[in-house]
Amino acid sequence: MKLGKMATLPILAGFMMLPLSAMAHTPLFSCFDNGDGTIYCEGGFSDGSTAAGVPVVIKDSSGKEVKRLELSRTSDVEFEKPKGNYSVTFDGGEGHSIEIPGSQIFE
Amino acid sequence: MKKGFILAGLITLFSAASALAHFQMVYTPQSALETGGDLNLKLVFTHPFDADHTMDMGPVEEFYVIHQRGEEGQPRKTDLKEFLHEISWKSLDNEGKAYDAKIPSRVMRSMGDYVFVLVPSPYLEGEDEYIQQYTKMIMNVGGVPGNWHEPVGLPVEIVPLDKPYANWTGGVFRGVVMANGEPVPHAELEIEYLNHEPDMRRNAFKKRPGIKAPHPAFESMGIRANANGEFTIGLPKAGWWGIAAPDLVETEYNDIDMVKEAVLWIQVTDIK
Repeated sequence: MKLGKMATLPILAGFMMLPLSAMAHTPLFSCFDNGDGTIYCEGGFSDGSTAAGVPVVIKDSSGKEVKRLELSRTSDVEFEKPKGNYSVTFDGGEGHSIEIPGSQIFE
Repeated sequence: MKKGFILAGLITLFSAASALAHFQMVYTPQSALETGGDLNLKLVFTHPFDADHTMDMGPVEEFYVIHQRGEEGQPRKTDLKEFLHEISWKSLDNEGKAYDAKIPSRVMRSMGDYVFVLVPSPYLEGEDEYIQQYTKMIMNVGGVPGNWHEPVGLPVEIVPLDKPYANWTGGVFRGVVMANGEPVPHAELEIEYLNHEPDMRRNAFKKRPGIKAPHPAFESMGIRANANGEFTIGLPKAGWWGIAAPDLVETEYNDIDMVKEAVLWIQVTDIK
């Protein structure tokens, strides 16, 4: 659903990902600013396994959790862009988490 | 004296044969990308090792990409013909009609595998045979694998058994030669190194070669698949390697004989 919708959006560039390394099951996470007031994030693992159900946590500038979502059946999620500084965390558990600062999520 | 003439004739014959390996290229400098974004591809029908002659491409029959994120992701096919425009590609001794494709970021943004497929129009080789090379080039964004190992359902194709975009220098690459959905036992294969780096801005091959072949047989190397259509090649040098399986299916086009051939491009990276 998300991919089909995304394909029609006029502004789609912008990408951020922080791949970890040296693990057999490396988590991967990327987020884009859709340019329409929403943020789109997708996750996965280096072995191709699904990241469906992995929690995605949005924190404010003080590190306080303001929203908790989870990746969909297609390993992605979309949410309204928070005001001010924020970060998005792929919470795959100890050693499998990736945090992306909002300042590094581009259109 | 007579022996000398025969030997000279054989050398000429082999030299000529070595220069006849056509490869349909689908080229971009880097196949494993950390992030997605706009992508520029060059579609050129040429001889990659010696870059001596580029053949004119006709209208493209099909050009598309199949993207899949993760093993459990759903493949998504996107037609790319709208992004093509004709260019003139400069080889070392001629220019030929080729294509430039500027793929927008909305196609190449997500993580996962991107299997690019090109079906060029048949090329009339001489006056008595058409050849048509079904060509694949596979890229990845972000490290999440997808459908790199899946057949895409072409009449002829080379299906990778190793990730085509993640190969270390000194390693090996394996694949299966397929025709009409079945492996081709003992299929013939030609392997060429893309020896003259493409200049994306000038639409040309750079003059300086990457390596020097000690003998024509090394320019277009010949191997055979095993009884299951599987093959393995060594990867001694970083860069792009073209793998072609010629003459897989014989048919007709415009009442002239035509052969369908499969081409796969893989990229090799140095360990640093």
